[in-house]
Amino acid sequence: MNIVKADSIRQKLDRSTAVRATIKQVYIYVVLATIVFIFSIVKLDKVEFFGRGHFLSPDSIINLLRTAVPILTLSGAFTLLMISGYIDLSVGSAMSLSAVVFSWMILNGFSFLPALVITLIVGIAMGFLNGTLVMKLRITPVIATLVTLSIFKGMALLIVPDGLSSIKSSAEKTMPAWINDYARKEVLFGLPWAFWVAILAIVIMVIIQKKTILGKYAAAIGGNRLAAELSGINAVLVGWLIYIIVGFFAALAGIARASYMSLGDPLSGDNMELACIIAVLLGGTAFSGGEGSVAKTMIGAIIIMCVTTGLMTVIPAYWQTLATGSVLLIAVVMNQLLAQDKVKV
Amino acid sequence: MQIKQLQKPSKPLTKGTLSDESFITLFMVGVLIVVFGIACFAVPNFYKAQNIINLVTNNWFIIILGIGVTFLLITGNFDMSVGGVIALTGVLAVYFCQGRNVSQNVLANGLGLPYGVAVGLALLCAMGVGAINAFFIARLKVPSIIVTLGTMMLARGTAQVITQGAQRNTSLPDSFGVLGSLGIPGTSIRLAVIVMIVLILVAFIFEKKTVFGRRIYLIGANPVAARLSGINVTRYLTALYLLSSLLAGITGILLASEFKAGVSSRALGYEFDALVVALLGGVSISGGFGSVLGMFLGAIILSVVTSSATGLLLSPDWQFTLKGIVTFIAILAQRFALDKRRN
Repeated sequence: MNIVKADSIRQKLDRSTAVRATIKQVYIYVVLATIVFIFSIVKLDKVEFFGRGHFLSPDSIINLLRTAVPILTLSGAFTLLMISGYIDLSVGSAMSLSAVVFSWMILNGFSFLPALVITLIVGIAMGFLNGTLVMKLRITPVIATLVTLSIFKGMALLIVPDGLSSIKSSAEKTMPAWINDYARKEVLFGLPWAFWVAILAIVIMVIIQKKTILGKYAAAIGGNRLAAELSGINAVLVGWLIYIIVGFFAALAGIARASYMSLGDPLSGDNMELACIIAVLLGGTAFSGGEGSVAKTMIGAIIIMCVTTGLMTVIPAYWQTLATGSVLLIAVVMNQLLAQDKVKV
Repeated sequence: MQIKQLQKPSKPLTKGTLSDESFITLFMVGVLIVVFGIACFAVPNFYKAQNIINLVTNNWFIIILGIGVTFLLITGNFDMSVGGVIALTGVLAVYFCQGRNVSQNVLANGLGLPYGVAVGLALLCAMGVGAINAFFIARLKVPSIIVTLGTMMLARGTAQVITQGAQRNTSLPDSFGVLGSLGIPGTSIRLAVIVMIVLILVAFIFEKKTVFGRRIYLIGANPVAARLSGINVTRYLTALYLLSSLLAGITGILLASEFKAGVSSRALGYEFDALVVALLGGVSISGGFGSVLGMFLGAIILSVVTSSATGLLLSPDWQFTLKGIVTFIAILAQRFALDKRRN
């Protein structure tokens, strides 16, 4: 009798776990569909369905995807970092610094490719510095990357000449018009180079996470660092490498932003770390690391872009911070409710 | 024989030796003296009494915020929402105080409550943010950094919505500016500075002499052990988050009164400064280490560094880089000093 009872309880538990797993699989798509649906029915009295100005019209979608380029470029690498249980709060500042460096070089007569390569090297250096602080000097990731956030942001502000708010055309020098080509000129389906590079970045990150040993090691370290190290994984090296990858993609995102705005704004990357965290959490990656999916982060990134840019078409811009903060907290709650195993402290 | 060996007190407990905490505090006193000495050499008029008083009085808000942040950091948690709470409380206090239906401009109309009620309600809202923090962190066990970054946006976002992204500063009663303008005439010591000194003293006694204060260290050193030995960790964390938000709220009220305005962009980045002064003072995130006194010293070190940078006519853009580098050096130096001492 008792055994039967225990069995039925176990079955019930199994079923609730299964239900939770199913919800976890699909909820993010439901959220995306709901948001798209809501934004496509507001203002219907003024615009036609799929017509110009409608949320689902081709030009709106292209515009959304173009503004989403930096977060699409960056959040894949950020996911891998969070899977391995670390965090990088300096990505926004790294992006700003890259944008400033890139546009400074373009302004001072560099051509596109050298400027791109040098900025990417700067990005790798920033990732290397983060990796050194966290992995080698063993400073807590949050504190270490807050310190570098401050340093990168300060450097970006210092590069911009006094009295100007950003690197842009002035009386002596004019910014070449072709700086726009990378992130605005249409190459395929009305979308620019920067977008296709972002897609390439996503594909690469998905392959790294799913198919390479680096992805497996990242998950192992995030799951249990000590066990990973005891089974022969060089956790320091792997973590370091992932920080460098994040730095690289932060620089790439910064270049896209600079090219899109055709100026180097030292504040352009502000709050990018929060957007990345939201995208990663919506994608179902656990806080503590160990599991997660780069592909699903992209759905999260699209959601956060829909909310921030889509919302602005309906209500005034000063609602943006509140909206983003609310989405972050909702993502946190969903992530926690759907977590498979709850560890009690 | 074995029992005797076990009972032998470990080295730091022997009489006549400093605890690690006092050691780091003394270490930071030494650093402060060195930094101050260099600043006196490099910057003209830095040694003057008025300047030394200003070093403390100009940073009262960071020190008040630092108290809450320090206690939380000792338990191993962050509070990045304090800057947002300052903006929110200031804006709310102004909004509650502004006259009802006084003009066509939406930003000039408020709820027309008396000043005392307005301040009380604004502080309650501040503690509401603290309660959200506590709920997520202590109950749902979500990492504090993510939650408090979210509530920071929530608080600042609400302030931006109330002020429509700008500020509210019209149709305020005269009583609104009283708190901010009180002070000892002829000096730079205002009410806010006195509040800061009182709070520091209370926090110091609270940390050293109360059971609650000592248990904070236990929670930070080992939360599981603390729970198993009968400490209600959830309740302690909740109390500390409420305290931190309340302190930020008080700061917000004082700042709003001083400027007679509720500005939505007030206190941008203060959460980072509060964290920096705590870290400079030797507070460690990984386990029950640090003190309010150390945080106070850290705040003065930071203020010596930043004000001497201003005195050397470096552009204000240097502040960010300088803060980052100083924090980095401080963390490494403290760890190095502790490692040396233990071996």
